[in-house]
Amino acid sequence: MTSLKRPWRADGGGPELASKVYVRSTKSGKVQKIVREVYLRRDIPCSSMLCEACLKHAPSNSQNQAQPFVLSAKPAGTKRFPQGHYLIPDTNAFLTGMDLFEVESAFHDVIVLQTVLEEVRNRSLPLYHRLVNLTKNESKRFYVFFNEFRAETHVLRLPGETINDRNDRAVRAAVAWYAGHLAMAVNGRKPPAVVMISDDKGNLAKAKAEKIDGMKLVEYVSHLDDATHLLDMISELHERRPGGKAEMFYPEYYSMSKLLTGIKAGTIHQGIFNISAYNFLEGSVHVPAFEKSLLILGRENANRAVSGDVVAIEILPKDQWKAPSSKLVEEESLDKNDNPDAEDGEEVVTERDRRALQEEVRQTQRSTAENRLQPTARVVGVIKRNWRQYVGHVDRDSVKSTDKHSRQQQMVFVRPMDRRIPKIRMRTRQAGELLGKRILVTIDAWDRDSRYPFGHFVRSLGDLETKGAETEALLLEYDVQYRPFANAVLDCLPREGHDWKVPQEKADPGWQGRRDLRDLIVCSIDPVGCVDIDDALHARPLPNGNYEVGVHIADVSHFVKPNTAMDKEASIRGTTVYLVDKRIDMLPMLLGTDLCSLKPYVERYAFSVLWEIDSDANIINANFTKSVIRSREAFSYEQAQLRIDDASQQDDLTKSMRVLMMLSKKFKQKRMDAGALNLASPEVRVELESETSDPIDVKTKQALDTNSLVEEFMLLANTSVAAKVYTAFPQTALLRRHAAPPKSNFEDLAVQLKVKKGMTLRSDSSKALADSLDTCVDPTVPFFNTMVRILATRCMMSAEYFCAGTQAYPEFRHYGLASEIYTHFTSPIRRYADLEVHRQLAAAIEYEVLHQSLHSRAKLEAVCKNINVRHRNAQLAGRASVSYYVGQALKGRSLVEEAYVMRVFSNGFVVIVPRFGVEDVVRLKDLGVDEKESEFDGDRYVLRIGGEVRRDVELFQRVKVGITDELEESTGKRKIRLRLV
Amino acid sequence: MAPSATQTLLSPAELSYIHHSLSLSPPIRPDGRSPTEFRPLFAETDILPNTNGSARVCFADGSEAIAGVKAEVERSIARPGLDISADDDGEEERHGENAWVEMSIEIPGHRDDDALPVFLAAMLTEALLADSELKDRLWINRRFHWKLYIDILLLSPPSSYPLPLLSLTTHLSLLSTHLPALISDPADDPLFNDDWHSATPLYPPSSSTPPVTLLVTTIGETILLDPTPEELAVADAVLALSVAAPLPSKAKKGKGNPQARLLAIRTLDPPSRLTPLGTTAGPTEGAPPRTGMAWAPPQGGLKRELLSRVIKAVVAPGGGAEEVLAGLAGVVA
Repeated sequence: MTSLKRPWRADGGGPELASKVYVRSTKSGKVQKIVREVYLRRDIPCSSMLCEACLKHAPSNSQNQAQPFVLSAKPAGTKRFPQGHYLIPDTNAFLTGMDLFEVESAFHDVIVLQTVLEEVRNRSLPLYHRLVNLTKNESKRFYVFFNEFRAETHVLRLPGETINDRNDRAVRAAVAWYAGHLAMAVNGRKPPAVVMISDDKGNLAKAKAEKIDGMKLVEYVSHLDDATHLLDMISELHERRPGGKAEMFYPEYYSMSKLLTGIKAGTIHQGIFNISAYNFLEGSVHVPAFEKSLLILGRENANRAVSGDVVAIEILPKDQWKAPSSKLVEEESLDKNDNPDAEDGEEVVTERDRRALQEEVRQTQRSTAENRLQPTARVVGVIKRNWRQYVGHVDRDSVKSTDKHSRQQQMVFVRPMDRRIPKIRMRTRQAGELLGKRILVTIDAWDRDSRYPFGHFVRSLGDLETKGAETEALLLEYDVQYRPFANAVLDCLPREGHDWKVPQEKADPGWQGRRDLRDLIVCSIDPVGCVDIDDALHARPLPNGNYEVGVHIADVSHFVKPNTAMDKEASIRGTTVYLVDKRIDMLPMLLGTDLCSLKPYVERYAFSVLWEIDSDANIINANFTKSVIRSREAFSYEQAQLRIDDASQQDDLTKSMRVLMMLSKKFKQKRMDAGALNLASPEVRVELESETSDPIDVKTKQALDTNSLVEEFMLLANTSVAAKVYTAFPQTALLRRHAAPPKSNFEDLAVQLKVKKGMTLRSDSSKALADSLDTCVDPTVPFFNTMVRILATRCMMSAEYFCAGTQAYPEFRHYGLASEIYTHFTSPIRRYADLEVHRQLAAAIEYEVLHQSLHSRAKLEAVCKNINVRHRNAQLAGRASVSYYVGQALKGRSLVEEAYVMRVFSNGFVVIVPRFGVEDVVRLKDLGVDEKESEFDGDRYVLRIGGEVRRDVELFQRVKVGITDELEESTGKRKIRLRLV
Repeated sequence: MAPSATQTLLSPAELSYIHHSLSLSPPIRPDGRSPTEFRPLFAETDILPNTNGSARVCFADGSEAIAGVKAEVERSIARPGLDISADDDGEEERHGENAWVEMSIEIPGHRDDDALPVFLAAMLTEALLADSELKDRLWINRRFHWKLYIDILLLSPPSSYPLPLLSLTTHLSLLSTHLPALISDPADDPLFNDDWHSATPLYPPSSSTPPVTLLVTTIGETILLDPTPEELAVADAVLALSVAAPLPSKAKKGKGNPQARLLAIRTLDPPSRLTPLGTTAGPTEGAPPRTGMAWAPPQGGLKRELLSRVIKAVVAPGGGAEEVLAGLAGVVA
C-alpha cells in the first residue's frame, strides 16, 4: 500500500500568515481548541525619530496628519551606554518595577512590546492600566510596538516550548530587530543601544549568547543617578529568600481546581475577607450560603489573606466554633518586639497571640449560652487579591540605624494607617529619612515562610501631621480621584466660559422643549457658604385652592453629554467628596459652581418637577419639564428659618416658603406613619479659621425645620422621578434601594436593650422598628435615644444604586424611607447617579433620545457598581477628615466631657462623646488596671474594674471622660485619648 | 445487510466470466492484483485545524472521505447505588460508557436518517467500542469524561461499498486525535493545559490502534482482500472484519510478529444475491437446475473451514491487517 502525506502547516504556508493554536477553557466548563490566524505585516513603524524609513508608515490621526514618532533621536546615555539607549523591559520588569517606570527622572524612551503588554494584562489588571497610562504620557516617551504583528518579529511557539520561553524569545527577537533596524537607520553612525531589561537568568544568558544587550532591573537602576531612592521601589516579588529549607508558617493554598470543585460542590465558600476593627485577629467572611458571617480566628486560619481579598474558606469542625470575641486586640500591643529581620524562631502564632486566643476560648466556654457559638472557618485559597497601595509610616522600633546618611539596606516594618492591614515588611536604604513621614507602600507578596507580607516603598507624602500629607493620605486610602481635570475634560466645557448665559432668543436650540419658568418666585436653601447649588424650590396657590409646588434641579445633563471625556471622568469620580477643608469636585469648577449652579438673580437652565398638591399634601399630579428659571434668593438654612418665623415678612417669597414649610411637615408626618425611620449619626462640624484653615472649634450640627423642608421635597422629587423613569425604562432605570436588614442583625442590640433597660426592640418591619425606637427613651438621659438610633443604623444594610432589570419590583423598596421606589435626582452636580437619572428622565419625557449607553443593562450595572463604591468611600473619607480635624482642634487641650458606653469588652469599653461625635476605646491598660483584677460579665454587659479604679462600667451608662490628644503610635494619627474620670 | 450500495450493471455472461476467473487458482482479478493486495490510496491527517484530530483518505477508484474528531468535556451521569467502581483502597477504575462515542456519517444524496448512513455508523461504532480501551481512556474522573464526536463526510458518491473507506478515515483521524493535557488533580473538576502542543494523543504509542474494518470476499475457495465492486457482484460471501494492531506489550513478549487483534466480524449480504439469473433457455417450471445456466446468484452461507482461513489471512503476522495498519501508521508518523 502506498500513501502520501501532506501535513497541514502550522506556519500557514506563507510568510505573511501564521496561526496560533491553543486550548481555551470556558466558564461553563467547555474545553475548546482555538485556532487563530495571524496576518503579519511589514509596515508597523519603529517610531524612533532616528528612522526615516518608517516615516511613511507613521499612523495618522483623524485629520490625516501623520503623528510624530515617540522615541527620542537622542536618548539619554548611561555609563555603560554612552551613545544613549532605548529600553525594552520584559513582563517581570514591569510587574516588579512599575513604580520605577513611573518615576519622572528616569526611564525614558521605553519600547513596550505587545507581547509584554498582553502578559502584564493577564497577570495584573491594575498594573496594566498603569502601564497604558504611562504610554499615554508624552514626556515619558513610552511606545507600544506591536511586535506580534510585524513579520520580522513574530515568533512561533515551538513544540514543547513553554509560553514563557516563547515570550522571552519574542522579546529577544524584538530587541535584535530593533538593534539591526536602528543600525540601518543611522547610516554608519553609532546607533543607540537597545537594552533588554529582564530578571530571568536564562533569558539573560540566551541574550548574551545572541549578542543582545540585556541586564537585570536592579543592575540597570544601580547605574542611575538616584539609585538609592529608586532601588527601594523595586518590588520584593523576585527576592526569594536564600536557603532551601525555610520554615513554613502558613498552610499551603488548595489548588485552583480543588477550590473550584469545592465551590461548585458547596463545601468551600467564597467571599470577601474583612478584619474586625476591634480585633485584628478576628476576621469575618460573609458568604451567600449563610445568613451570618463566618468567623476566621487567628493568623493561621486567616492564612495570609488581607482585608478586602476575595477568599475561599472551609468551615472548621464544630468543636472549633466560637463566640465572637469580647476582647480588644490590637496588633501593636501584641507584637511590639518583633524584629523585621529575624526569621529564626518566628512563629505564626506567637506566644502572646496564642495566649490571647486561649483567653478567648476560655471566655467562650464560660458563657454557657450555646447559641452564641458561631461557626468558624479557615482560608484555604485566595481567589483574588485586592491589594492596593497603602498609606502608613515606618515603625520606629523596627529601624536599627536611624542615620540619615547611611545608605545601608535594612528591613523595616511599615504600619499601615488602616488598622485592618497587617504590618508590611519593607527593605529600604533610606530608613533614617523615612522616619516620621507618611509614606505610600504596596504589598508585593506574602509567602508561606513569612509571617508578614513583603512590600516596597512607592513614595513619601510628607511629614506626619502636616495638612498636605494627611489630606493626601486620606484621599489615597479612600481611593478618591483628586488629580486636576485633564485637558480633554476641560475641552468639553462651553467655549464662553463664565460668560455663558441663557440665550435671549427663544429660537435658540437651547430653548427647544424648555418651559419658560422665569416668572416663578423660586429660591434655594442650602448650608452656609454653599456654592454648588443643585436645587431650588417654589410654591404658589392655584385658583382651585390647591398648591403648585416646583422643585428645580440644575440641568447638568445639558452641559455634560454622554460618552464625552467629561462624562467619563465624572462617572469614574462618581461623586464630589467633601472634606473639612477641601472639596474634590466631580465636575470642573466652571460647571459646578457657576454655569449649572442655580445662583440667585441669574437665569439658569433647570430640570423641573411640578406638582399640584392639595392642602392635605396629596399629590394630584406631577409634571416633569426642562425649564429656564431665575432664582430670587439663595438662603442659608438659618436665614430661611428666620425669614419664615418673622411674622412681619409678608412678601410673596416668604409666603411661598411658608406654604412649603406647611406642606413639608405634612409630608413628613405621612412618611413617618408609613414607617420611615428617623435615623441618627453623630454629626459634627469643624470650624476652621478662614485664613489658614486651622481648626478652631468643633460643633454638633443643628437641625432646623428648614433642613427638613428641603429634605422632604427632595425625597418627593426623587420618588416621583423614580416612578416616572421606571415606567419608561422598566429594564434600565437607575434606581436606589435600601434592602431590609435580616432580622439577625438586630439580635444583639435587642438583647442588650432587654437586659440593660428592659426595653423591647422589634424589627419585623421598618414601621415596627420606627415605633419601638420611639419607645426607647430614658427620660434622665436625653442622648440615650440618639445612641440607640446610632446603634440601630449600624445594624442595617447600606443603600445602593441598582439597575431596575436586576431586581424584582418588591426588592426596589427603600427600607429607611419606607418608599416603594426611589432614586437620586436632585444633586446632579455632585452625584453621577443623578446625572444619569436626568438623562433617563429627559428621554422619558421625550425631550431627547436616550443615549445607547443608558440602554445597556451591563453598562449601567458597571456604573452602579462603581458609584456605590465611590459613594461609600466619599462618606468614609469625609468622616475620616472630620475625625482628623477634631484631633487637631483638641491638640494640646484637656477637657472633661460626658460620654456614653456603647460597647463593653473584657479588657476595655467603647464610648461615644456626643459633643465631638467621636467614638473611642478606653482600655483597662490605659487606666492602669491589670486585666486579671477585673471581671467581665458578658451576659449582663458589665465590666467590674478592679485595681485602683474600683468601679463598674456597664453598657449604655453615662460616664465622664477626660479628653487629651495623643499621637497614636500604630497609625501615626493624632487622636484623642480618653480616661475615665 | 444494508441496502446494497450500487447495482453493478453486469450481464449474466460477464458475471459468470468474472466469477470463473476468480475461482481459478491462483485467481485472476480484473485489475490484475494478487488476492491479498490492496489498491493504492492517498491519505493525509490534521487537515482540519479546529478539530482534535482529522484525516482525509482517497481511494484509487475516486472515492474520498474526510473525518473530524471533536472532544468535549461532559459531566458523567451519577448513578448512586450502581457506582461500585471505587475500590476500598480508593483506586478508581476507569469505566467508560458506550454513549461517550457518537458518530455521524454524511453521504451525498442520503438523508442522515437513511438506512445506509445509520447502518454504517452503527457498524463503525460497534468496532470502536468492541475495544473497551477507547471508552475507558475517555474517563477523566468520577464526574467528568470526554465525549467524542466523530463526523465523517463521504465526498464522492457511494459508487462502491464505502465501509472500508470510512473505516480507514476514522482510523486515521482517531490516530491523530489529541486531547488537552489535564493539569488539575485527578479528583477535582478538570482544568487543562492551554498549550495545544502539550495535548496528549488519544491513542498513545503504548496502546493498541483504533480498529480498521476490512472487507473480504470469498469466491469458491478463493479469498480476496479489498474487493472491487465487480468482485463484490460475484462474491459468494462478504465479511467485514474489524481488526486492531496487537498490543505493544504482547509484541515484545512474543517471538516474531504477533497476530493482529480481531475485534468483530460481520457477514454482509453480498450484492451478488441481487444479480439477475442468467439462463441459456427460458425459465422452466419447478426448481430450476443450476447447471447449464450462464449465471446463478450465489446462495447459502460460508463454511467454517473457509471462515477460519479468511480470519487467518487477515490477522496472521504479515497478513492483510498488518499491511494496512503499517501503511496507515506511516501516514500519521
